[in-house]
Amino acid sequence: MRLSDGEVGKSYMIKSIEGGCMAKDRLLKLGLIPGSIITLKRKAPLRGPLMVEINGNDVVVGRGISVKIIIEELA
Amino acid sequence: MKTIALIGQPNCGKSTLFNQIAGYKSLSANFPGATVEYTKGQTYINDELVEVVDLPGTYSLSWYDDAEKETVKALFSMDIDVIVNIIDASSLIRSIELTIELMSLSKPMVVALNMMDEAARKGIYIDIKKLENILGVKVVPIVAKKGKGVASLLKETMNAKPPLKRCVYSRGVEKYITKVSECISDNNVKTQWPTKLLAIKAIEGFKPCEEIVEATQPCRQALKEAKFALKEGLVIVQERHALCMDIFEAVARVKKPKKKNTEGVLDQYLLHPVFGYFFMFLIFFVIFYVVFNGGVPVENFIISIFDKIDGFIEQSLLQHKLLLAITKGVVDGVGAAFGIAFPYLLPFLFLISLLEDVGYLPRIGFLMDSLMHKMGIHGTSVIPFVSGYGCSVPAVMAVRILKGKKEKFISAFLASMVPCSARTTVIMGLVGYFLGYGYAILLYGFNIAVIFVSGVILKRLLPGINPEMIIDIPPYRLPTTKTLLLKTWHKVKDFVFLAVPMLIGGSVVLTLINYYHLDGYINQFFKPFLEGVLGLPAAVGVVLIFGILKKELTLLMLYQALGLSTLAAIPKVLTPHQMLTFTVFVMFYVPCLATIAAIKKEVGTKSALIITALSFFIASFLAFLVRFI
Repeated sequence: MRLSDGEVGKSYMIKSIEGGCMAKDRLLKLGLIPGSIITLKRKAPLRGPLMVEINGNDVVVGRGISVKIIIEELA
Repeated sequence: MKTIALIGQPNCGKSTLFNQIAGYKSLSANFPGATVEYTKGQTYINDELVEVVDLPGTYSLSWYDDAEKETVKALFSMDIDVIVNIIDASSLIRSIELTIELMSLSKPMVVALNMMDEAARKGIYIDIKKLENILGVKVVPIVAKKGKGVASLLKETMNAKPPLKRCVYSRGVEKYITKVSECISDNNVKTQWPTKLLAIKAIEGFKPCEEIVEATQPCRQALKEAKFALKEGLVIVQERHALCMDIFEAVARVKKPKKKNTEGVLDQYLLHPVFGYFFMFLIFFVIFYVVFNGGVPVENFIISIFDKIDGFIEQSLLQHKLLLAITKGVVDGVGAAFGIAFPYLLPFLFLISLLEDVGYLPRIGFLMDSLMHKMGIHGTSVIPFVSGYGCSVPAVMAVRILKGKKEKFISAFLASMVPCSARTTVIMGLVGYFLGYGYAILLYGFNIAVIFVSGVILKRLLPGINPEMIIDIPPYRLPTTKTLLLKTWHKVKDFVFLAVPMLIGGSVVLTLINYYHLDGYINQFFKPFLEGVLGLPAAVGVVLIFGILKKELTLLMLYQALGLSTLAAIPKVLTPHQMLTFTVFVMFYVPCLATIAAIKKEVGTKSALIITALSFFIASFLAFLVRFI
């Protein structure tokens, strides 16, 4: 599933990140690396960005990017 | 003189540390050929004068935006003797990735482990000695906000040595990195990058590095193989991240934090899908209320002082008419600049800096992103827009917090179209007073619609990527008054140096026009445009010229120019339709001189000229349309 389909309050493991290298590079630097675990904290209204927590830091990603982040629900 | 560069990731407290070291005497400078700024200052360490450079924050040595690019370029091109790498101890895992990259530069380096207090609050305790051993670099724990540990950091800076160790990846990964880097040195590829770092960045797919490597035929092949084997560099990223995790686990003990999480509670309200917007409007309302209600008496006070000076000059220079005109022009120009800077700009910038340092600004970006996105800009651009209703100058200056060039240009352009308080005087005084407030409100709505449409068009027309938001939300922090005041002072100082010459120049030109009675010629010159295109009396030509200096003047001078005794007589000369046309033109045409100066500073001379010309065109077009509605 994609990050944009994730549920607020749940934790997921990042499986892969698709798409452009610029945005991907920034995501990797902020710790959104395949294999890492993120918690979806909130979604802004009107198809706005999403806020995720990773290693204790909050990161906001635009809706367009969240579609390219493939996640897996933690058992 | 030794040069010390402060480098760290955004929000690591770099500028706070800089202000502790060299705050008062610091200067901000532009990187050559770029609008990105850095600050430098001087200080004494052990009786030796050293230069301290505060470079813009960067997450790593591969850049994503202009500021990061300049930092990396500066690292390679400036003559830096010591690197002080500031790390946020409360988010050690992520911060240490930059440290690992910096270590590969093999320059004398010291690590400043900042925000030890915040780490403790989060329940993170770091073994400094162990971290030092692992990194092979001197590590000094500090709390920059309180100045704790800064003295010993400076002492260590003077004895800094190049890192003893460097980051080694697993054998399989190193094999490919070595292959590429050996190829780079064998083929004498010209580069400022250390070869190994260049190889790593190229494998990771960082374009500028890729291009350097690919320019050489045999290296292109080696790079291709490495990229294939290492999954486009993802393996390196994962290994580096794992290394950071390992370092963190080796040096840090994590206990359950004592205090409860106030941040979560605050976010619950401030980022709420409904209340979040309510609080945002409330916060902005309070800021504007404070700034503009508090500003008016201060402005009146400043103007009264300059009026007295004017009176004094008039008396003493009665015999020398030309000299009097020029001197008055200079004094009026200075007065206009101070009349904006102290009553409005200073408190406004202080409050915006407060919002920024507290950590609220990025949160507004989160709330506003979806709307702003349609105009090709980020949520954060809401600041320039909202500020624009007060004064266009701080609005344009607020563009500085944005990252990309395209985004900056669009935001500066759109922010300059928001009717400032001076233009509000014209809208309310002319349309509101004579045609009714319904029309005035209609004009505001029209203005918002035009701004939105312009944004949508600009987004499509301009080259460059449309920003997708990826931002780091810092925790809420209480900034120190010292940092805030210094930050505000730097911005106001910029404005004063920028606007005063423009306003003096403009003001002198206008007094000379008056002195030599050139208004008639000006009106004659603009007659075809004003009468022919806009259907306005030619006499308003000189009024519009004065409006470039200060927009309030357009209303004050209108009745004088039309040869009327009072403002109330305007309907005798202008039809309601003409009033509307005139107001629409004033609302959109060329922002005032101080704004143009600010645009030039933030987005460059060429963009300032384009924005000025475009806004003139938009104003003419819209006023022309209104004429025939």
